[in-house]
Amino acid sequence: MGLRALDNVSLELAQGEILGLIGPNGSGKTTLINVISGLLAPTAGRARVDGTVVTGKPAHVSARAGIARTFQSVRLFKALTARENVEVAALAAGVRRVEAKRRADELLGEFGLARWHNVLAGALPYGLERSLEMARAIATGATFLLLDEPAAGLDESEGDALLALLAGIPATRGCGILVIDHDMRLIMRLCRRLHVLAHGQTISEGTADEVRRDPRVIEAYLGSAGAAA
Amino acid sequence: MTPEFALQYLINALSLGSLYALMALGMAIVFGVLRLVNLAYGELIMVAGYTLFVLNDSPLPWLILAAGAVAMAMVASVLTERIAFRPVRVNSLNAMLITSFAVSTLLQNAALLLVSPRTRAVNVPGVLSQNLDVGGFNVSMANVLTIIVSLGLLFGLNLLLRRTTLGIALRAAADDFPMTRMLGVRADRVIATAFAISGVLAGVVGLFWVARIGSVIPTIGAGPLLIALIATVIGGMSGLSGAIVGGYLLGALTVGMQLLLPQGLLDYRDAFTFAIVILVLLVRPQGLIAGRSAARVG
Amino acid sequence: MGSLLTGVAILIRGHRQLLILIVPIAIFAVVTQLVGGTLLGRIAIAFFINLMVVLSLQIFTGNSGLLSFAHVGFMGIGAYVSAVLTMTPEAKAFAIPDLYPALVPVTLPFIPAVLIGGLVAAVVAAVVTFPIMRLREAASVISTFALLVIIQVILAHWHELTNGPRSLFGLQPYTDLPTAALWGVIFIVVAWVFRHSSIGLRLRASQDSEPAALTIGVNVVRLRWIAFIVSAFIAGFAGGLWAHFVTTFSPRAFYLIETFVAVTMLIVGGPRTVSGAVIGTVIVTAAFQGLRTIENQINLERLLPFQVVGVTEILLAVVLIVVLTVRPGGLIEEREIFSGPGGPLGPDADSAAKAPP
Repeated sequence: MGLRALDNVSLELAQGEILGLIGPNGSGKTTLINVISGLLAPTAGRARVDGTVVTGKPAHVSARAGIARTFQSVRLFKALTARENVEVAALAAGVRRVEAKRRADELLGEFGLARWHNVLAGALPYGLERSLEMARAIATGATFLLLDEPAAGLDESEGDALLALLAGIPATRGCGILVIDHDMRLIMRLCRRLHVLAHGQTISEGTADEVRRDPRVIEAYLGSAGAAA
Repeated sequence: MTPEFALQYLINALSLGSLYALMALGMAIVFGVLRLVNLAYGELIMVAGYTLFVLNDSPLPWLILAAGAVAMAMVASVLTERIAFRPVRVNSLNAMLITSFAVSTLLQNAALLLVSPRTRAVNVPGVLSQNLDVGGFNVSMANVLTIIVSLGLLFGLNLLLRRTTLGIALRAAADDFPMTRMLGVRADRVIATAFAISGVLAGVVGLFWVARIGSVIPTIGAGPLLIALIATVIGGMSGLSGAIVGGYLLGALTVGMQLLLPQGLLDYRDAFTFAIVILVLLVRPQGLIAGRSAARVG
Repeated sequence: MGSLLTGVAILIRGHRQLLILIVPIAIFAVVTQLVGGTLLGRIAIAFFINLMVVLSLQIFTGNSGLLSFAHVGFMGIGAYVSAVLTMTPEAKAFAIPDLYPALVPVTLPFIPAVLIGGLVAAVVAAVVTFPIMRLREAASVISTFALLVIIQVILAHWHELTNGPRSLFGLQPYTDLPTAALWGVIFIVVAWVFRHSSIGLRLRASQDSEPAALTIGVNVVRLRWIAFIVSAFIAGFAGGLWAHFVTTFSPRAFYLIETFVAVTMLIVGGPRTVSGAVIGTVIVTAAFQGLRTIENQINLERLLPFQVVGVTEILLAVVLIVVLTVRPGGLIEEREIFSGPGGPLGPDADSAAKAPP
């Protein structure tokens, strides 16, 4: 019964690297992130962080194991201030109150949100929402970040600024990042290694150049009326 | 168990089940389109009851009075939607739910103010208190009529939902309302229709309920509301057939408990049934019967 | 002691609004105690007890975002438990003839009995509510509603503890205004501290987006449970004070009408904030008492050819619907009262308009 949204997909993400996850619409990218972050339980298969299984358990377990994420349709805590949005993430990771506030202020500064700290997240300009969501994810102290279309809806300059920030994160924080995006320009600039999904299955894997030349990838994209140029 | 006893048990269970099924269906049809647990649903039954009471001395035939009572319940249902629920619909589910709580309180106290806090007798046609002889067995006429009318109503409603455009839209909406809206069905009309049908069902339930008790009080809707809640939960709160099955199941269960439980425990019957409700919500939130898939997060 | 004082000092420095909330209420209590008559005194006591019930509801609903219809039931548990504990053996012989023999000789002082009432409510909540804390929307609401019905049925039939559906009478009127006011203020502080605590903050986050809260590691179900237990304690405590205020009551006192009044107070004021809970209680109590007085006066002087009943409830219901329509978040919505404007800082504060996605 039901549709198989994901079938036999296997990928590995190391700390310090940025892996791009691409594929046509409906290929299962978001589903994969939902499974890894614990929001969906897979019927079979596992996600492990340093050997600890995080799938099939309550969703907050994945976060405690060091996985944090953002959402394609941004999900902020709208009735909390920008600062509280970040602070609460640190608190949820078990950081003490004073340290959580300090970490929040530091991250808000880093993401250019300092002067918005007392604004309710629901009242932030759109361009800043994604930055805040990312700051929140980082505040958990995660070792792995899953970013679902981090640049969607941003204009070119905002996108570029975000890109610059993102690119620096693995080095400064030692995280591994998994990025989903339709913007191939962004993906190619950000990621050395790519993983391609189509119809819930892995169709290609490798460096940007390898993937670009892979006939199966070309077919998948052209077949689905070229979601990415 | 003697055959007569068994037949009576069966008819009792079927009659109560039919009534419960109508109650549940009236609740489920609104829940389907709005995700609203309408706590004012019981007061529609009250409206039908008081209409009968007001018309007590009317010279008109009882069937016409009954039609009037059902019509009033329908009007009340549609009016509450238009005046109270529609304005808060955009806000949140909780807002709508509390609104229904407020509407319930409002209607109850209106009856308190306009009629009386005390029980008022309602004339019931003699035929309902007669007994029927079925192959040598004594069967209550009220029970038989309840079963026949309910089945007729369910059948008619089924036709309406399957054959008319609005009916099809309504069934689709009960299944997946956002999707139905995207297909261009006008939300306001579907919702208003759902409330109208809900009101008619409540009205018919009101007739039989009042006939059973022989009187009406402002709090008469409380019992049916709880029953409708339980039955819809057992039925799965999505889709309409679940509610009907839930109603019949609850009817059988109620009569069965009456039969089997000692008085000491019978006092706690409602506590048991509601404990079962919580259990069903926990173990099978999609109900004992139907299934439903999860929504996309992303 | 020193560290406690420091804690209080920090609390006051960071939360001046809390003082702004408490001081007028405390002044009202003191003035009423000194110069108010019996009637005003009783209204004031009723206000403080209502306030506790609404605050208990705010602690759960306001932080978690889940409605609860069960809280008045927990108030009932506290009322009955404390009543059984304070009554003299003679009074019990009259009022609860079927009472368990072991409980007959037990007579505790007032406040300890009320505390135990709150604790029992909290324990019952802890035992029964954990599984339902993972439910959402309709399922969650129906399950708390079911809980209210279950508590009601048990209170009305447990003759060995409650005297069944009949009235329980013969309690001593221990609850005076200073007691009610003191505990009312204490629970304002408790609700305030809870809201701003790490638990409160995490719960409020889960209210805005449960998936997002889960993915930053918030154990949503457990925190809801904790909030429910804390709030059930306060509801039970309030029930104990209420029992020793009215001194005669039956299980029906803890059912739908009272739930409606408490929910109205919370929603009108704004469930998300403690100030909302307080202001909602003030407004609705004032309106309720005013309308009731008018209603009674009309009936007493026979100004109308019929008895006027239910007008108060009707008007409250109308007010509630109007508030939900025009200001669904209540009067004090997201930020506590007097929190300041909360805009962006810096020079180009106005240039960053909200762009459509």
